[in-house]
Amino acid sequence: MALDNLRTAEALLSVRDLTVKAETDGTSRTILDGISFDLNPRQILSVIGESGSGKTVLARTLASWLPPPLRVTGGSVHFRGEDLIADPKFAKSLSGREIAYIGGNPAGALDPTMIVGAQLVEKLRAVRPDISKSDAHDKAIALLGAVKIPAPERRFHEYPFQYSGGMMQRAMIVDALISDPALLIADNITQPLDVTVAAQILKLMRELNSEFSTAILFICSSLPVACEAADEVMVLHEGKVVERQVPGELIARPQHAYTKDLIRELPTLWAEGKSEEAAPATRKQQAIMSVHGVAKHYETHGKSGRALVQAVRNVEFDVFPGDNFGIVGESGCGKSSLMRLLTGLERPDAGTIHFKGENVGQATPKRLRQLRRKFQLVLQDPYGSLPPQSSIGSILEEPLIIHKIGNRAERRERARAIMAEVGLPNNIYDRLPTGLSAGQRQRLNVGRAMILEPELLIMDETLSALDQTEQAKLLELFQRLQEEHGFTYIFISHDLTMVRQVCSRIAVMYLGETVEVAPNERLFFDPGHPYSRALLSAAPTLEKRRYSPEDCLLEGEPPSPIDLPKGCAFANRCPHAFDRCRMENPSLVLRGDHALAACFLND
Amino acid sequence: MAFVPVALLQTYSEVPMFVVRFLVRRLLQGALIVFLVSALIFTLLRVVPGDPVRLMAGGMAPEALIEKIALEMGLRDPIYQQFGRYIGGVAQGDLGQSFVRPANGAAVGGASFDDNTRAARAEVWDLIAQTAPMTLQLALLAMVFALIVAIPIGVAGGLRPGKWPDRLALYLSSVFISLPNFWLGIVLALLLSVKLNLLPAIGYNGFAYTILPALVLSVEIAPFIIRTLTVSVANVMGQNFIDIAAVRGLTRNQIIFRHALKNSAIPLLNLLGVQFSMLLGGVLVIEFIFDYPGLGRLTINAVMQRDFPLIQGIAIVTAAAFVLINIVVDLCATAIDPRLDY
Repeated sequence: MALDNLRTAEALLSVRDLTVKAETDGTSRTILDGISFDLNPRQILSVIGESGSGKTVLARTLASWLPPPLRVTGGSVHFRGEDLIADPKFAKSLSGREIAYIGGNPAGALDPTMIVGAQLVEKLRAVRPDISKSDAHDKAIALLGAVKIPAPERRFHEYPFQYSGGMMQRAMIVDALISDPALLIADNITQPLDVTVAAQILKLMRELNSEFSTAILFICSSLPVACEAADEVMVLHEGKVVERQVPGELIARPQHAYTKDLIRELPTLWAEGKSEEAAPATRKQQAIMSVHGVAKHYETHGKSGRALVQAVRNVEFDVFPGDNFGIVGESGCGKSSLMRLLTGLERPDAGTIHFKGENVGQATPKRLRQLRRKFQLVLQDPYGSLPPQSSIGSILEEPLIIHKIGNRAERRERARAIMAEVGLPNNIYDRLPTGLSAGQRQRLNVGRAMILEPELLIMDETLSALDQTEQAKLLELFQRLQEEHGFTYIFISHDLTMVRQVCSRIAVMYLGETVEVAPNERLFFDPGHPYSRALLSAAPTLEKRRYSPEDCLLEGEPPSPIDLPKGCAFANRCPHAFDRCRMENPSLVLRGDHALAACFLND
Repeated sequence: MAFVPVALLQTYSEVPMFVVRFLVRRLLQGALIVFLVSALIFTLLRVVPGDPVRLMAGGMAPEALIEKIALEMGLRDPIYQQFGRYIGGVAQGDLGQSFVRPANGAAVGGASFDDNTRAARAEVWDLIAQTAPMTLQLALLAMVFALIVAIPIGVAGGLRPGKWPDRLALYLSSVFISLPNFWLGIVLALLLSVKLNLLPAIGYNGFAYTILPALVLSVEIAPFIIRTLTVSVANVMGQNFIDIAAVRGLTRNQIIFRHALKNSAIPLLNLLGVQFSMLLGGVLVIEFIFDYPGLGRLTINAVMQRDFPLIQGIAIVTAAAFVLINIVVDLCATAIDPRLDY
């Protein structure tokens, strides 16, 4: 390694003083400011930085794919000794052939009207016309197999919409590698994926790197992921390279203040000295929300006829007053369907949901509206969840009008009080929400939910659209509000580190079921379900892992909720599965101290 | 270990099965639609004032004779009985006979009541079968003209949104759509037939007679095609897979011709289906102006002569054509984009 670094003449990619500016109407903003680095053949270099640090612009500059207002104003990019900036035509001819790019959005990356295989062949033959159609076909299938897509022959003939997100990202890796490029630019490729799938993709990248001898520029926004993926990590801050080290050194001895902050602010999963959560709510009290055997299915019409999607099955848990209850699970596990059931937006097909002893699932619409004063919902999307044409004041007052509370002056006073409480400046009362940042919008959403003085707040991925710093501020706000108003929270989230920080009890969902319900400490130190262990093993963290991905998770994807296996839904990915798991479905069993898990291993 | 979702396997192996099921379902739906259309038309025609027998027999015919003919033809039975008889015939391919037209020549509505040629009145089916191909020819030619003009303009506009080709597309569509077809028909006839003597205008005596009315119709429908194409091409060009295709190494021609156009074809296909149905259903004004012997002219005459069986027949045939065109359009759309599900 050290030797390689000395011989910079042999660097595959050599970037010197690269400066990119955004020029609009005479004003010019510097996005990349004098970036210099070398990338050797076969090396994996992570580039990390917060949003706006210029990571993606760097990726797109190297891929000769800079969109119009952005322009390279200085510096050079030498690829195998040739300057790409000086010769854009040559640079273009490399893209897709020698320099491959994979983006963060696999869902829309291929033509939806053509089978995946044909598009792989088309791409290979576009950059290497000398390869015959049948050779290209064979190569595509071989590579689909190499990225561990099951049944590659058949998958070759399927359309993009028949691939899951993780599968599609694998297909895009094939698309990038099929022309044997010397450099692969991976721009945030794990960001839209679930942690367990992302962990598999990362593993795959490393394997492919050694197999295909491709240098990889791995761009991402999560420090743990960057450290896991790469030989070296380069930190980008405000368009400048502030430091570059091997991962171990970077974490142990960060040089730049920004890196130090980044590492310090990183939430931990297992570190000791975690403040014990406010005394766990007393169990003697009546549960504020009590969910039993809840199920919900949806009917879909496909080309193969009708199908039943079992979105939620066997969900069981109690939430006690003053609790911070967490519901975690990956995409498609039924979190959002469950949220719709909890809030009475939809009614369950089976089971009961009691809010303070009253069945939400069977309440009349009128009673439901009265009940909603006491439990409110805060949504994920800070942009779609606010009406763009209403002023901030009227957004806040609308719930009061719906529930016929107070007169105009009282409502106005109440709205202003709430704005102060959630930390919104007083002078924006009459403004539209257009100018608000994502964090401010979520504050407004929280304010709108709490203006009715509810007892229970359901947070559906409320923080997942925000960056780390903003998340921390809002969590502080939630805690303060809880102390002042005695709220009970239900956090629905995919983010284990967030749940670890805030929640007192946590339910883990997999394919519509609660597979484990346990107090925070117990779940993270002694999980009772193999899926919980798999989630923990895949969580991005810099800490020494208590659970290693190799032992916890088999290659593969969750089954489809249309064709559920007979036994335990996790059996096909579980390293401990035995015959009984494939025959019957375990139900939640108490394993002491309010911890429940649905696994035969606990018997 | 390799997990294969069963649903995908089924989708994959059942594609031909899906087409059969689709056709059966849609044809049954179509039959129902045609039935409802005929019931509606039948009832409406019987409810409106005016006795067709009076028209057939002539103003001078004695009341007793009219009653006799009406009874013979079953026109005094309750409407549901008449309809039952009629629909029974339709099911066997018999659309009935024209009240007014003799089998052997021109309309004689209002001729003398003792006219013995009435025994051989024309079959509605034959009348439609003679005129429908003419309208089909006109509609197809109009469609071809419109596409020749609209595709290059629309696609160019969609590829450069906001630039001059886009504006050209918009201005041209605005001009085309504001030209009234009867006015354009007359002007073009004056210009191309009378002044320049290039094309024949009135009547039908060979293929050349179709060109002028088709030109007028194509000006009418081209703006819709241009607009649809501009919007859908611009929309597709903004999508991620087009954006990223260049980085994947595809050439601009590959991107446009293999991916962008295919993806923007579906809105166009739906539009063409609707437009074509409208053209078939009767280009009344144009056929009337150019005295073109198609379904449109037949319809106008049938309505003016209160020729109930003929009006019904035309309505049923055009309804059936609508249904069939829609089935074909939807089938083509699923062939282009397998995500679609009808």
